[in-house]
Amino acid sequence: MSNARTAASQDLSSCHICLKLVNSELHHCPRCGSAMHKRKSDSLQRTLALLVTSTILYIPANILPIMYTDQLSNSAGSTIMGGVVLLIKLGSIPIAAIIFIASVLVPSAKLMMMYYLCWTVARGNLGSERQRTVLYRVTEFIGKWSMIDVFVVAILVALVHLSGILVFRPGVAALAFAGVVIVTMIAAESFDPRLMWDNLEEETEDE
Amino acid sequence: MTQAASFQADADTNSLSDAVAGSTDRARIACPSCDLLFDVTDLPDGATANCSRCGNFLTTNKSDAFERVTSACIAALVMLAVACAFPFMQFSRAGLENTMTLPQTVMELWNNNMPWLAIIVASFILIIPAVVTICMLVLSITLTRNHSPSWLRQLGSTVFHLQNWSMVEVFFVGVLVSLVKIAKMATIVLGTSFWAYAAFTVLFTLAVTNLDKFQSWQKIEALAAE
Ligand SMILES: [Zn+2]
Ligand SMILES: [Zn+2]
Repeated sequence: MSNARTAASQDLSSCHICLKLVNSELHHCPRCGSAMHKRKSDSLQRTLALLVTSTILYIPANILPIMYTDQLSNSAGSTIMGGVVLLIKLGSIPIAAIIFIASVLVPSAKLMMMYYLCWTVARGNLGSERQRTVLYRVTEFIGKWSMIDVFVVAILVALVHLSGILVFRPGVAALAFAGVVIVTMIAAESFDPRLMWDNLEEETEDE
Repeated sequence: MTQAASFQADADTNSLSDAVAGSTDRARIACPSCDLLFDVTDLPDGATANCSRCGNFLTTNKSDAFERVTSACIAALVMLAVACAFPFMQFSRAGLENTMTLPQTVMELWNNNMPWLAIIVASFILIIPAVVTICMLVLSITLTRNHSPSWLRQLGSTVFHLQNWSMVEVFFVGVLVSLVKIAKMATIVLGTSFWAYAAFTVLFTLAVTNLDKFQSWQKIEALAAE
């Protein structure tokens, strides 16, 4: 670990579009033409701002109805948690578990993990770098799986429209929820995992 | 798809100083997660390199990768066209029935006064996957034929940026979940389009995993220099 050499220690930057190693003084990548930064610019502030935005969107996504079911003359809205409870009552435990994990557990866990990673970087990198990098890669991987419930709404709305008997309509929460997924995905993209390793370099250089 | 031969990327100081000295002809990569430098010039055919410090995937070297991407993309585009043209699922209850096509999942959201949601869903399940597949196809053909048109750089950036925003596999799980949700309410018949989209999901994933970001850019750069 002590003889580890990073690109930054060699005055090189890795282009985040094409992985080209270029001199840190250059402003544009000579290979793909994108703007160059040693680390993603204002990574921490940008990530935090996006995290706060998606946390705010997360509230209407959960308390407003994600889908309306019009049966005969009744119209009933169901929230994400309401849908999970209904599935449990119907006896579809595995599907209830998938929806609960994808729509409730994953987005909230992802938000909390991203807040935690930002906090550890801001506090001078607490904890194991390797473990936190794994944690970051998990948040990157699971992000888009939260869209399952939105897609389920889209499919049911398109498939079932027997006028007067059974009709599904989309609710506002579906849009808010899609917003949560998109904004947290952008947050994960703007977070720079290399920040977690940078203090390690400074420590070894000081020795 | 794990490779039999594993390659330990070399991160010790000596081999790296060599790498720094001959900076132009050595293929070097910095780990995207922890910034550690690796020399991957001598990566054997079929081998995969991972970061020795944080374990992140670095690159994989397959000599026939671009040909594989080309054939997977062509097959994927055919499947996507079929998936859009035929019925996806049929729902029937008490003598009444509804047939749904893939474009309808988008149109119905639009008709229900949710244009933004319609655009988001259309982008994730149809538009971005189609654009990425077409771009990957053009890129792999161009690289196989050793051509270097001026727009190749732009094409490369588009492919590797948009890839993360395709949600074909997520949509497919959504389809399975909705099937179970309404299975008790009515009779569901799966259409041609359902199977075509399933095949598209597999072929698209195959193309994405075979198109290595680092190797593609090395080749783009080598061709531009000629
Ligand atoms: Zn670049
Ligand atoms: Zn690494």
